[in-house]
Amino acid sequence: MYTLFSLNLKWIVRDRILQALLTASLVLIMLVPVLSSFSMRQSQELAVTLSLSFISFVLLVFTLVLGSTMLWRDIERRYTYSVLSLPFDRGTYILAKFLAVAFFIFAGALFIGLCAALAIKVSAVRDPSTLPLQWGRIAVSIFMDSLKYALLAALGILVSTFSTSFFMPFFSAVFIFLSGSASQDVYEFVTSSSGMKLNTAARVAARVVYYIVPNFGAFNFKLQAIYPIPLDPLQIVYAIAYFIIYTTMALSLAIWCFSRRELT
Amino acid sequence: MAKPIEISNLSKTFRGKKGIRVDALRDLSLSIEPGEVFGFLGPNGAGKSTTIKILMGLITATAGSACLFGKEISTAQARLSVGYLPENPALYDFLTGREYLGFVGKSFLMAAADIEARSDEVLGLLELRDAANRPIRSYSKGMVQRLGLAQALLHDPDLYVLDEPMSGLDPIGRALVKDIIRSLKQRGRTVFFSTHITADVEAVCDRVGVIVRGKLEALDSVEHLMRSGIEGYTVQVSGGAPEEGCGYDFRPLKGDGREYYVPKDSFNRFIELISAAGGKVELIETRRKDLEEFFLEIVK
Repeated sequence: MYTLFSLNLKWIVRDRILQALLTASLVLIMLVPVLSSFSMRQSQELAVTLSLSFISFVLLVFTLVLGSTMLWRDIERRYTYSVLSLPFDRGTYILAKFLAVAFFIFAGALFIGLCAALAIKVSAVRDPSTLPLQWGRIAVSIFMDSLKYALLAALGILVSTFSTSFFMPFFSAVFIFLSGSASQDVYEFVTSSSGMKLNTAARVAARVVYYIVPNFGAFNFKLQAIYPIPLDPLQIVYAIAYFIIYTTMALSLAIWCFSRRELT
Repeated sequence: MAKPIEISNLSKTFRGKKGIRVDALRDLSLSIEPGEVFGFLGPNGAGKSTTIKILMGLITATAGSACLFGKEISTAQARLSVGYLPENPALYDFLTGREYLGFVGKSFLMAAADIEARSDEVLGLLELRDAANRPIRSYSKGMVQRLGLAQALLHDPDLYVLDEPMSGLDPIGRALVKDIIRSLKQRGRTVFFSTHITADVEAVCDRVGVIVRGKLEALDSVEHLMRSGIEGYTVQVSGGAPEEGCGYDFRPLKGDGREYYVPKDSFNRFIELISAAGGKVELIETRRKDLEEFFLEIVK
């Protein structure tokens, strides 16, 4: 497992597209103190908001590039013939790919997060806020975002195991991200009194989508990081448990599908 | 001891677009003995690579079974004693040649010191030492092919499965690969390689199997095929009377020399006649069907 994991990580780290993305993300983060100065009274809050949003966006791009293309590239370039003829089983191969992508997401989040901390501190010192900076909550928010994207990567890998083209896993991941981000709000709407006015088919469809696609809303801790809203430990435990269960299911299904795939 | 390769009634059917059925492999049974060099010969699309991909667990058979050293091919453990060279190998090109060998060595659970020593050895053998620290993406096709062979040799397995090992190589590279296969045989290793080039089989193989349209059409030792392919002899004679050639056509040579073509069945009679006429046999050359003619007969 470690051999394949380190191979995949080496591939990711040497990928020039990802290197360019990482550089671009640092430029974005460095812009935070400048952009936050446009807010007259809430410079610090805006700096935190912008930093978390930039980090989230960069992690999304990493996830889409890696989660939905790594397996496809292996198959497309016929690397699978060389690797899977070595004494690895396909389950190990899929798990190693996921772990390398997840590791990169967490390491990337840590690295960009540290740069963001510097940018936030600059903004906070320049225009002090009445609210204290909640570094712990910012860290929790970034960590939860990383979990969300690791889960999305697992789903991207799942789609890659049965897809023959680049487009299907990529656009499936985009669709899952969009629907998963909105599913909680849509579910709450259809179960509210206003939602009852919708026809039954639409409400059932919304419920089905809610239960199938992951609820990315469960990983959103941005408000707690920006404003003095206390963290609910149960909510954190729930989100971590949700990540573990959903990711395990996605990867188990991915291994099952890939073990049956013909590498012609 | 379990046989390196044991294939029983293996079949593979692909279903293409619009449900078109392609029988890539039909009821193949074959066993390879330890220490044997086996040539798997067939035209393009005959089912050679399909067989090898099934053996390496890359695709699954529709019917039948296969074992490597007695282990079911569906398990990763079955590949522990195998060195595999895919056809036109694609190797992770962001790695250097040496890094790739390191990866392969670790996957076979080799110790770090062994990986280093063996990497040096196989890189030297395949004449890749100068390029060892360059990314594979900068290699030529022939260099990638040689690195593919190097990674198959790295852990010194008991069985080598080589899919078109001479493909993409220049004559020097081809000779090198043939030498390597011969040396593997000398060290008691088993080699199973596919090719559509008959001369390669003739040069290095003990046995040959000919597969055509997914069916094994012939299986024999190369030596037996060569012997059974003898059609006659070219005999150079000097002295004696030409008319004592008993009706065989001849071509005059310098001086009083003549060259006869004698069918296999008449050879003894011809020698008696020539001797009786005072002729002296200077040279006898065997005229035989080569493996290519044998192969073409089967394919047609």
